[in-house]
Amino acid sequence: MSVLDIKNIHIDFPTSKGVVHAVTDVTLSVEKGRRIGFIGESGSGKTTTALAAMRMLANPGFVASGEVHLNSLEGDTNVLHLDEEGMRRVRLRKISYIPQGAMNSLNPVMRVEAQIWDAVVAHEGAVEDLQARSDTALEGVGLDPKVVGRLYPHELSGGMKQRVCIAIGTCLTPDLIIADEPTSALDVITQRHVMQTLREMQAKIGAGLILIGHDMGLMAQSVDDIAVLKKGVLVEFGPVRQIIENPEHPYTKELISSVPLVGGESFLHAQAAPPKGEKLDVPLLELDGVSKVYGSVTALHPMSFALDGEEPKIISIVGQSGSGKSTMGSLMLGFNDPTAGAVRFKGDDINRMTAGERLEFRKQVQAVFQDPYACFNPFYRVNHALKFPFENFGMQGDVEVEMHKACEAVGLDPSLVLGRYPHQLSGGQRQRLIVARALMLSPKLLIADEPVSMVDASLRATILANIHDLKDKHGISIIYITHDLATAYHVSDYVMVLYHGHVVEAGPPKEVIGDPQHAYTRLLIDSIPWPDLDRDWGDAGDARAALDVLAEIGGTPETVYRGDIPGFTLGQG
Amino acid sequence: MSDPTNAAAPETAAPDMAGLTKRQLKRMKRFDNPWNNPKLIWGITLLMGIIALGIFGRIFWDTDLVFTGAVLPSQAPVGFENLRGQVGLASSPLGTDVAGKDLLALLIVGAPNSLYVGVLASLIGMSLGIFLGFTAGYTGGRVDDVIRVGSDVMITIPPLLILVVVQASFGDITLTMMSLLIAAFVWQSPTRLIRAQVLSMRESGYVQMARLSGASDRHIMFREMLPNLVPYLFGSFIANVTTSIVTAVGLEVLGLGPQRVPTLGRVIYDAIDSAALTRDMWWWWGFPTILLMVMFIGLLLINLGLDEVSNPRLRRL
Repeated sequence: MSVLDIKNIHIDFPTSKGVVHAVTDVTLSVEKGRRIGFIGESGSGKTTTALAAMRMLANPGFVASGEVHLNSLEGDTNVLHLDEEGMRRVRLRKISYIPQGAMNSLNPVMRVEAQIWDAVVAHEGAVEDLQARSDTALEGVGLDPKVVGRLYPHELSGGMKQRVCIAIGTCLTPDLIIADEPTSALDVITQRHVMQTLREMQAKIGAGLILIGHDMGLMAQSVDDIAVLKKGVLVEFGPVRQIIENPEHPYTKELISSVPLVGGESFLHAQAAPPKGEKLDVPLLELDGVSKVYGSVTALHPMSFALDGEEPKIISIVGQSGSGKSTMGSLMLGFNDPTAGAVRFKGDDINRMTAGERLEFRKQVQAVFQDPYACFNPFYRVNHALKFPFENFGMQGDVEVEMHKACEAVGLDPSLVLGRYPHQLSGGQRQRLIVARALMLSPKLLIADEPVSMVDASLRATILANIHDLKDKHGISIIYITHDLATAYHVSDYVMVLYHGHVVEAGPPKEVIGDPQHAYTRLLIDSIPWPDLDRDWGDAGDARAALDVLAEIGGTPETVYRGDIPGFTLGQG
Repeated sequence: MSDPTNAAAPETAAPDMAGLTKRQLKRMKRFDNPWNNPKLIWGITLLMGIIALGIFGRIFWDTDLVFTGAVLPSQAPVGFENLRGQVGLASSPLGTDVAGKDLLALLIVGAPNSLYVGVLASLIGMSLGIFLGFTAGYTGGRVDDVIRVGSDVMITIPPLLILVVVQASFGDITLTMMSLLIAAFVWQSPTRLIRAQVLSMRESGYVQMARLSGASDRHIMFREMLPNLVPYLFGSFIANVTTSIVTAVGLEVLGLGPQRVPTLGRVIYDAIDSAALTRDMWWWWGFPTILLMVMFIGLLLINLGLDEVSNPRLRRL
């Protein structure tokens, strides 16, 4: 029996440039107890389709035509015919929604259990056993109702907040749960736990589940059927095994192949000997006992390493949010002063430079940041970001010619991107422009801080290949900061795994990621959802056990050294 | 949203222009150029009207008629009668006051004067605000503390109270002097606004990019940050002009402010002083009030229009 039938639905958004057909002719059924994944890139209409079932479309979107049938309704089952009050009764009771950012979805001034009572009272009126209801709901998601129920949202971790959202979403045993990228803000270890909890709860109440996401691996591990959307059109729909092992639509193939696998085929083309950098007596970049303390929090424990610039290398710094990896990035760029120790570039302390030396340092050390949307000044055309540093550093050559060359080198058509405003370009194009900017300046060292985490999956491989080319073709050494072990495995020459500001494991990627020795590294790799159906993610029990392992590692882990590469030395001890 | 001619950003489905009424298409066009905003245009037109009154009035009318005894006193506007049954003459189309001043001439001189006080006070206040806001937001630390506390304290002081005391002790002052005094009370809110914006912009990606490009602090402040503040600055400027005019008129109606220069507030003060309300000389206080209303409505419309320009979400199809 199907819970929800979406029939030939069209959703339009009238905008300044005309009507955007966000969703075109999508027909889909959700069976009871079955999990369906909506996958597609940003703007593909996956969230819009799902929200149409709850009639919660963002303004000014509206359903232009089509039907949405919720089969448990009495009489007319078409949701689109319900009045406001009828719709209110459907929401949460029949169809519940688990939002993306759990951080902002809970009321900050109410205790957790009171928020569950709110949901119950809104639909059932004044019931007597509210306490029992909230206790059951919280127990269901593995939270202790005696403790967690009495807490306020800010006292919970990200994973706990998301589990509270699941508790609210399931407390009225709805027919259908819509989960909109419920784990996109969480790290992989927590992600696994939250997803397992969601699956467990969904199986327990026998509801249908629509999981919206862009991660093929997560889909493979969590759903039964996959619906692939592209530009508002349902391009492929079928059981997960069929889609993953035998995709028919080229777009699906592209989505699947864009997920890099540890040990899998590399997405990079091997290059003959890269050009050598200049030979120096001192290391290109040296961290000498550098640490950073923010108030009572130690973001980075004393760390020492030396990177030799002669042979360009990519050094990956891998870790979860809060591991101190971005702090390292800003220390190396001189945006932050270290609490202790010194960062030296070609032997000079970067925090004790004169204005002239600093300009020279800036010219030689460039960066690619995480957010391609924020990196361009909205006031200027994108050329400004490329032109200004080039002229400011007094570089030789014609700016226009160099800009065109750099764009072509990263695979952009200069006539399409140059001269436009940032908002006219996609995230992928902007990030490639930033790489092009780095290329124009030909620095000695590039610090890439999560360069692809905010870019659509299908473009990640291309952008990483662009960055890899900087090393191979232009002899630039790169520090690659990421949370993604699979890409680190492919691009880097040396990997450091960071945990709470400590290096827990370091060495060549084949050793560290291919065959992890430290408990934390192993945990990270086990928690990655692989788009491989035979590599099971484990059940909720495994996920809980993983959290126990994490607790055991504690705050001062040992470092496991897994071998050295020439030209890079990590200070031991 | 995506642009149909832009092959570069094909992430969302392309918009469809078919099946739209002419009216909708016309409204859409307005989105392409946000400055083509009806509220903004109306507001500017109203203010230009006041300025035009000042310019053309000086050409086509004799401004010497503002002096006492220049024309017959207590005359009603053309076609109306005063209490004595005298019908207004075409030589003073808007009537005259009890001292024999021509009201049209008073308005021609007075209205631009009031606007001048508002604009000058606001300009000075904004310049101070931009300087202090950037200094506080960008420098941080002790300097920030001093500026922030200073502007917070100043906000709590009621400006009219201080101005009444200062002006009363000064006696007669010039328009510029009054603008300077008012400016001392309108720099606080732009300071706070700019400080807050600078604080959030300082951490933004493009400012980091500029630092990475070796940009100087001056470049970051004036070339990267300031252009993005323009809509806020405009809005804040217009709001300050309104506040300044209200303050100036308030002082003038109390009989303070410039004694020899005609302003709209001064005309209203004279009208109240000579019991124009009880003598049924409605034109005396009525016309300056209408001009003030036009001025404020114009400023309000400009402010609303600017809001829509800087915040596309307020624009509707």
